Amino acid sequence: MMHSDVLIVRAREGDKHAQGKLVEVWYKRIYNFSYKFFYDHDMAMEASQKTFISMHRNIAYLQDAARFRSWLYTIAVNCCREELRKRKSDKSVSLHDLGPGEHEDSYHWEKSGTRGENPERVLRQNELSDLLQECLMQLSEEQREVVIMKEYEGMKFREIAEALNLSENTVKSRMYYGLEALKRILERRKITQETIGYEL
Amino acid sequence: MNYKPDEATLIAYLYGELEPAEQLKIEEYLQKNPEEKKRMEDLSFARTVLSSVQDKEVIAPPIILGEELKVKTPFWKENYFRMPLGIAASLLIFLIAAKLVGLSLTYTPGEVKIGFGEKVKPVQEPSLTEQQVGEMIHSTVASNNEILKASWMEDRKLLEQSIQKNLNSNSSKIDKLMQTASAASQEQVKQFVGQMQNDNLKLMKDYMQLSSTGQKEYIENLLVDFSKYLQEQRKQDLQFLQARVNRVEQNTDLFKQETEQILTSLISTTGTNQKRN
Repeated sequence: MMHSDVLIVRAREGDKHAQGKLVEVWYKRIYNFSYKFFYDHDMAMEASQKTFISMHRNIAYLQDAARFRSWLYTIAVNCCREELRKRKSDKSVSLHDLGPGEHEDSYHWEKSGTRGENPERVLRQNELSDLLQECLMQLSEEQREVVIMKEYEGMKFREIAEALNLSENTVKSRMYYGLEALKRILERRKITQETIGYEL
Repeated sequence: MNYKPDEATLIAYLYGELEPAEQLKIEEYLQKNPEEKKRMEDLSFARTVLSSVQDKEVIAPPIILGEELKVKTPFWKENYFRMPLGIAASLLIFLIAAKLVGLSLTYTPGEVKIGFGEKVKPVQEPSLTEQQVGEMIHSTVASNNEILKASWMEDRKLLEQSIQKNLNSNSSKIDKLMQTASAASQEQVKQFVGQMQNDNLKLMKDYMQLSSTGQKEYIENLLVDFSKYLQEQRKQDLQFLQARVNRVEQNTDLFKQETEQILTSLISTTGTNQKRN
């Protein structure tokens, strides 16, 4: 952690190498946050790149290095919202029409790493993952942001509140209703403890 | 104990972000409220399911974080240079165009003139002098006066002729009347007055006679109408009385019949009673 703090301080002072290192460290997290938010690879790439360009431009104004994580997610959320607005106004692509199966044309650095696991299990796991991702997409934007930050980014409620510029209670409340909504969606899709038990 | 935690507290409990004392309190609450416990278990299940979504593997693309490239633009493409240059160019084009079309601008106090081509000098026509204008006015006024004077003279002559003519004719009439009046004697006057009185008397007599005849006729008519009215009234009264008498007669007859019926029934009742006895 100390290592990360030093990186942030150096990056803030304009050290290009430190900034590059920060991108390297945080890119996967920001990309995955964006991907779960959009369920769309291209949009996630776009939002991630914009997030890091914005980070580079504004890191000099970051007051407290300890708040880097929530600060970075603030930028990421804003970029995601902006991207979503842009897509909604374009109306050219529907989120649900775009599955993650369009990776064929991706650049070499975007390709997912292969796992040395049982291919059948990997396939089932991927199917479940896609199904749950579709369920996530049915949550409202506000609930989705909070659920992703909490469940996948492992942020504390205080950090999420800071990143979204909300009160901690509001964040908790969104999380509660988000999980409740998700439970209902899962029930509608017949995903229960019995049906899914063997996968978990 | 009516302790009921809100959603924020419950979710903090679910994620283990509560103080130990608070956590114990919630656990006790859930023990006492199985429904709430079931709900928390459902939320926990939703969390577990969510954990199945895996992260995508991705390698950071090369994002160039260096100084933003500044393309050096020549000074004539800079804004601070382009605007004055544009204004100067416009002015130059304007001046050349003005030269070609022979534009001329002249300004005198209260007048601005814009002209094209060569200047054409206005042709100066000889104008009248003040004295000439005075003479022209004077001669016009004099001729007008003469015309008016001649007209007045003619009118006056005609008026005098007309007055003279009227005077002549009226005086001869008045003279005739005066002569007739003076010729009439006192006796003739008396006779005239006497005749006039007789005529008036006759007129009055006629009038009185006429009016008395009219009044007589009117009163006669009035009396006739009144007698007719009285006769009619009397007739109606008689008819009314007749009707009342008839009704009284009818009532009497009816009464008679009823009395007879009663008597007959009484008689027949007494007859039957006697027979029974």
